[in-house]
Amino acid sequence: MTTHDKIDGLRQRKERTLKGGGEERIAKQHKAGKKTARERLEHLLDEGSFVEIDAFVESRGTDFGMQEKKTAGDGVVTGYGTIDGRLAFISSQDFTVIGGSLGEMHAKKITKVMDMAMKMGAPFISINDSGGARIEEGIDALGGFGEIFRRNTLASGVIPQISVIMGPCAGGAVYSPAITDFIFMVEKTSHMFITGPSVIKAVTGENVTFEALGGAGAHSTISGVAHFASPDEETCFSQIKKLISFLPDNNLSDPEILPCQDDVNRLDEDLNSIVPDDPNKPYDMLTLIARVVDNRDFFEVHEGFARNLIVGFGRIGGRTVGIVANQPRILAGVLDVDASDKAARFVRFCDAFNIPLITFTDVPGYLPGVKQEHTGIIRHGAKLLYAFSEATVPKINVIVRKAYGGAYIAMNSKHLGADMVLAWPTAEIAVMGPEGAANIIFRKEIGMAKDPIAFRQEKIREYRDKFSNPYIAAARGYVDDVIEPAETRQRIAGTLDMLSGKRETRPPKKHGNIPV
Amino acid sequence: MRKFIVNVNGNRYEVEVEEIGVPAQPAQGANADAAPAVPPKAVDPVVSAAPPPAPRVESTPAPQAVPQGSAGAYELTSPMPGTILDIRVNIGEKVKKGTVVAILEAMKMENEILAPKDAVVAGINVTRNQQVNSGDIIMTLT
Repeated sequence: MTTHDKIDGLRQRKERTLKGGGEERIAKQHKAGKKTARERLEHLLDEGSFVEIDAFVESRGTDFGMQEKKTAGDGVVTGYGTIDGRLAFISSQDFTVIGGSLGEMHAKKITKVMDMAMKMGAPFISINDSGGARIEEGIDALGGFGEIFRRNTLASGVIPQISVIMGPCAGGAVYSPAITDFIFMVEKTSHMFITGPSVIKAVTGENVTFEALGGAGAHSTISGVAHFASPDEETCFSQIKKLISFLPDNNLSDPEILPCQDDVNRLDEDLNSIVPDDPNKPYDMLTLIARVVDNRDFFEVHEGFARNLIVGFGRIGGRTVGIVANQPRILAGVLDVDASDKAARFVRFCDAFNIPLITFTDVPGYLPGVKQEHTGIIRHGAKLLYAFSEATVPKINVIVRKAYGGAYIAMNSKHLGADMVLAWPTAEIAVMGPEGAANIIFRKEIGMAKDPIAFRQEKIREYRDKFSNPYIAAARGYVDDVIEPAETRQRIAGTLDMLSGKRETRPPKKHGNIPV
Repeated sequence: MRKFIVNVNGNRYEVEVEEIGVPAQPAQGANADAAPAVPPKAVDPVVSAAPPPAPRVESTPAPQAVPQGSAGAYELTSPMPGTILDIRVNIGEKVKKGTVVAILEAMKMENEILAPKDAVVAGINVTRNQQVNSGDIIMTLT
């Protein structure tokens, strides 16, 4: 065999790996509205940047006819490339090869690029499209899952990890995405569940479709498992790129500061009239956020889940910030179990990756009810307090309107370590609302009054005038300054500058014990 | 004793119907327990002026839930405990997704209850100033 023959041999082998499971299966994949593993890499990564690793890896399984089924690549394409010029490591499961099922070597390929991502300090993106564990390979497949889960955990808080669900992701396979920072799903073609509709039917008798059980809609609105739901794969890729643009490569680097065309000193007079005169009227917090961030560009995370609280990324003066805000339009902006979970996880992500936190507070309190109590609002609500207390990144709180009771403390208050608390003149910071307070403080007097209704109204007004304002809190230094709404952007930008060198250390410990 | 409000040519009639021995008579025929669906016209209607009495005691007004209209397939429920301050639509009215159909006062806020989809209001299950719990049906849509 001449050297040229050997080179030809290499070329033929490489060409075979590019074809995945063959044209018939590729056509089937396309018909289902899905791209192939390699097409997805082309869409997500900068053109021509993908470098493949382990194209020649194949299964070592011999049972149940694995000898005949095995294909170079073993059902997953792995390697690295760039996204807008920044390095990222990636694995993309190939549904056309043995159903993208995860066997021993398939898992080894994934863990290899995960290890590389950790060493190089670059984001890891995992595209999931797999039938699950490869039964033919038995516990070697299970072992493979475990190796991935452990690495997901060790990489958590070190490099950003993003999971993209573009096909089935069922059973044990769901737990790798679940440990990662963000999950993207595509409507109609992606599903996630522990047990599928047929098992559910057999065990509990419930009838449910794939989509209703574990589709993008269910997970992005009801369960909160998915952070993003896209109508198609193209939209999904552009969302991933947008998300990555806000993030640093790892926990030791800062997010990129982009040149900012939006004047940080611009005053926004419209903000002076965004809060209605009647404190019981709602307004849209998203409008407020959009008016404060650069170019009105706010990238919301978990948009459809626990909508009474908003989280997401934006920039101020070109610098990435994580925003947490109550949404008075939904459920009056209360804190409940889901909102607390959503906010706490987001706060911890931002803290892990050096992203300053800005809160816009307008919260009437925690949602009352037996269901909330029994679902564990104590346990879940505690996460938010824990997350803000634990965070050492710059923390700025803008109290827009209501800040009552325990929810006032939870929303990035001075007491939990906020570096700067700014209040609008519309702020109402008190232990409870005027109505409730009047009922309790003046219970006896109201009972004895000639006209109880009028007397109660008078006491409510008295309480409101006295306590429902920012000045009591400001008099104690719990609020650092009361500002005009119009100057909010300017003040936040200036504060971020001041805080850019912030250093705050915690006593060394193995890890805290957040009430999960 | 059950109360119904029946609208006839725009006039509201409050009708009281007493059930007699219903549980004790099984297998009487298909219509035995279809009472809510059929307006009880046989009983001499106790006619009263339209609106239910205005709440006198300000602390707990809580008039009884009186479903009006038919029952639509989609149930619009209260997201949290509070008081219905206003109902902004009528039975039979077409609503677009996002239309404010009612105002629920809860958690120091006048919360807008929005239509979840384009639909027609089939029935309204609450009255003004009625206290509701989370999960209580405010109205039904088709």
